[in-house]
Amino acid sequence: MAADSPRVFPVDEFVRDELYPGYRQAFGSQPFVAGPVRPFSRADNARYWLRDSLHFSEGMVPASIALLDDAQTWGAQLGAEIVGVPPTRGSVNRLAGTHVYIGTIDVDTTWQMQARAARFGQYVGPILADFDRYWGMRAAELQAAYDHFDALDLARMDPGQLWTVVKDAYAFHRRAWFIHFEVMYVLTANYLAFYGLAEEIGLAGSQVSGFLAGERTFYSRTDEELWRLAARARELEVSEPLLREEPRSVRPRIEALPHGKTWWRELEEFLAAYGQRTEETCRIDTPSWIEDPAPALHAIASFLAKPAGFDFYAARAAAIAERDAQIEAARRAVNGGDLARFNGALASNRAANFAWWNEEHNYLIDRRAAIPVRRATLELGARLADSGAVTRPDDLFFLFKPELFEVMEAGSGSGSGSSAWAELAAMVPDRRDYFEHWRERGPSLPTMLGTIPRTVPDPIMIEVFGLSGHFLETLRSESGAGAGSGTGETAAEIRGFPAAKGVVEGVARVITTVGDLHTVLPGEILVCGGTTTEWTPAFGIIAACVCDTGGSLTHAAIVSREYGIPCVVGTAIATQTIKTGDRVRVDGRAGTVQVLA
Amino acid sequence: MAFDGRAFDGRAFDDLTPDDAVLELGAIRSDDHRRIGPKMARLGQLAADGWRVPDGYAVTAAALDGWLPAAARSELERVFTAPVTPDYGGHEHLAWLAEQARQLIEGQPLPAWLEDAVAGAQDRLEHRTGQGTALRVAVRSSAVGEDGAAASFAGQYQTYLGISGTAAVLAHVRKCWASGYSAHALAYRRRFGGAGPPRAHDLAVGVMQLVDARSAGVVFTLDPVTGDRDRCVVEANWGFGESVVSGQVTPDYWAVDSGSGRILERREGIKDVWSVLGGAGGDAGPGVRLASLPADLARSLCLSDDEVRYICRKATELAAAQGVPQDVEWAIARDLDLPDRVFFLQHRPETTWAAFDPVAYALRNVFKVPGT
Repeated sequence: MAADSPRVFPVDEFVRDELYPGYRQAFGSQPFVAGPVRPFSRADNARYWLRDSLHFSEGMVPASIALLDDAQTWGAQLGAEIVGVPPTRGSVNRLAGTHVYIGTIDVDTTWQMQARAARFGQYVGPILADFDRYWGMRAAELQAAYDHFDALDLARMDPGQLWTVVKDAYAFHRRAWFIHFEVMYVLTANYLAFYGLAEEIGLAGSQVSGFLAGERTFYSRTDEELWRLAARARELEVSEPLLREEPRSVRPRIEALPHGKTWWRELEEFLAAYGQRTEETCRIDTPSWIEDPAPALHAIASFLAKPAGFDFYAARAAAIAERDAQIEAARRAVNGGDLARFNGALASNRAANFAWWNEEHNYLIDRRAAIPVRRATLELGARLADSGAVTRPDDLFFLFKPELFEVMEAGSGSGSGSSAWAELAAMVPDRRDYFEHWRERGPSLPTMLGTIPRTVPDPIMIEVFGLSGHFLETLRSESGAGAGSGTGETAAEIRGFPAAKGVVEGVARVITTVGDLHTVLPGEILVCGGTTTEWTPAFGIIAACVCDTGGSLTHAAIVSREYGIPCVVGTAIATQTIKTGDRVRVDGRAGTVQVLA
Repeated sequence: MAFDGRAFDGRAFDDLTPDDAVLELGAIRSDDHRRIGPKMARLGQLAADGWRVPDGYAVTAAALDGWLPAAARSELERVFTAPVTPDYGGHEHLAWLAEQARQLIEGQPLPAWLEDAVAGAQDRLEHRTGQGTALRVAVRSSAVGEDGAAASFAGQYQTYLGISGTAAVLAHVRKCWASGYSAHALAYRRRFGGAGPPRAHDLAVGVMQLVDARSAGVVFTLDPVTGDRDRCVVEANWGFGESVVSGQVTPDYWAVDSGSGRILERREGIKDVWSVLGGAGGDAGPGVRLASLPADLARSLCLSDDEVRYICRKATELAAAQGVPQDVEWAIARDLDLPDRVFFLQHRPETTWAAFDPVAYALRNVFKVPGT
């Protein structure tokens, strides 16, 4: 045997089908902290499952399932475990067809709660005391990874290098989501403590996120840039094609105009700085704005429909003045030791501000972490399509990660013509049909499945997803006829969480997926399941916002305050009760929505 | 600790001298924090750096660690670890354990060597200050390992003001010790387990000349509400600082631009009481008590602009030297000229949520973890 050849001690004699006689370990039964993404099983009827249309409105292709596993499943479970969140071990996911439902893993013994509480105190205290430095470290780590992946010239790589990039990108994705939940759990605890204190000393908990408003985020800057581009479009006289043409065909029309090239160059400069984002979370099949700027072009077109523009300076000044007035009023209402505690809680939450981070982190994690996986997978798909192993580069989106890894690791990167590839490729058309079938069914899926509880023990789920007692009660008593019909009055009234104050009457526009957002007209009242970062541009043109889900910490609540429009969230049934074109009256302080006609 | 099992029943250690039991202020440097706690170590370093700090001495944690008899120590250990759940009566049970600990500690005489060491240091302090036995001191707990994660536990320990004479000082050293076993402290310790906060007996005690304060208070080198590091905030009242520190009054308030020293804001507080010398029961006893503030004082600011600017300038210097924002307690002596009249009593890194611990609050009231 040559000196440099590897030495092998064969494992053959230890190879078994069973772990012990009578026990065969199932795939996926061990590697998770609590449990991987699975389809529903009958046992799932015993507990509640919330449709997460907030984050995943259109369904998941097979390759996205691994990304979901990294995020809301494994990331949340590991984050909750390491931080030691007392009431929850994180979230689990089930799939209805291709659509994501979320459930929680409650901690239900006193000893476990206490043991987790002990390590929670040790873990969270120092982070909250020095949050700037801590988040700065995490943000720098994420940015360094993006700098690495973005700089790679994938087209020039040999197959082995390219496959290494795919694996690195998946590993990074998992790490990014652990950071997400680690930080999220730390910050929600800080926020919920302030919320609880406010209620204890006689203030309304619903005010608390208002106390934390007025901070600029990456997304508010994006929005300001989009409004600026709309104003430039008017100045440079390129508005007409933006308003009339579909994004796909608009570029030649614009560049044919005298100042068209100038405007398009400014758009590209904007995209270079702000375009590393996709429309949804964990979706390998959604392009970044750089690949396809349609969302930016839609937003600019809708801004052009509001010629007065949106005065960010005035809106922010008003939001800050409103915030400071609320804080002063709160301070006058409490005294002595309560005032000191209020000030302490406020200072802690300003230094480690969930309302700010909730917007800011999306650019570094939710909307970006999957882009390196997508880029590398598409390049790999292009090579495989060239070699005839698959038909289209994005056929790889319809393979599950373990399938891809198995065939790639076995064939060391060049699998063309192998029977394994033929088998996989043959499944792709059916899987495409399956995805399409479920994409169409998405809007009609129930908000909750399983057993709807009276209360949810995890306060984080209550604030982030809005699972209040009212929300649950509304779903429990839902007769299919809509709410408020029992009174016999002409106006049906829907109740929810009062997220941003103000009273407005207007015409409703019901939207179920972010892709339809560009149909919203200035002055309309947006009615939707829930909003995320991608919906932000709409807040500059709508008159009010009403959501099925959400609590004080949800995106719509936070952004409505920044834009100074009324908002009611957590109504449970708004999208089923209200129709586009209905005249509605939104009272953001009372948390009510009346359907007038 | 090397003294385990040898210092019982009041017998002296063979190898522990008064030098190990007591450190005088002039000898203290910042790296003494493991012996006397960061609070006293910082103060000694401040004095060594030429700041005006009240004279005094520290009783080391080592001296106190060896003091209790074995039976008392194991009894204390039992109190420390006894299971307390709602089934055992919850907080009442905890209060009962705390009372047992207090009696155990306060009923125990200090060993002669320790009494001698304290008596010697007290004598020398009375001599140095020229006040003899009329000298009034502050007896302050100084927890070892107080900084960092355990900082909020340090708040469980007590401080006693206006104490005179060796016997009273010794009695209050014991009280400081016992305060680590209050019901509140026991509850806190259980919530966070053993690893975070210090053990109760990791405690030193500082004895400092009490500054006869005309006015006193705190200065933060950042705005404690907004976190703005470009301004200092001063809060103060007439008399001793206790009325401010314990939140008994809405103090007078100044915001000062740290760079230029310009006073940005002056706000008169709602000062209906102040802290003055005297026992809780009446005027004659030892200690410091709250009394009604005379109306003419209540309606006037307790610091001149010059004093405010001086305090902020010094605090800003200190924060720059320490590298982190500081929270400084100070007092202004009667009958001295600026700058001599300003004494610095303690300083620590500013923890913005000193008045509110979001972690403890979330565990107790949001996640509702039993026993927190």
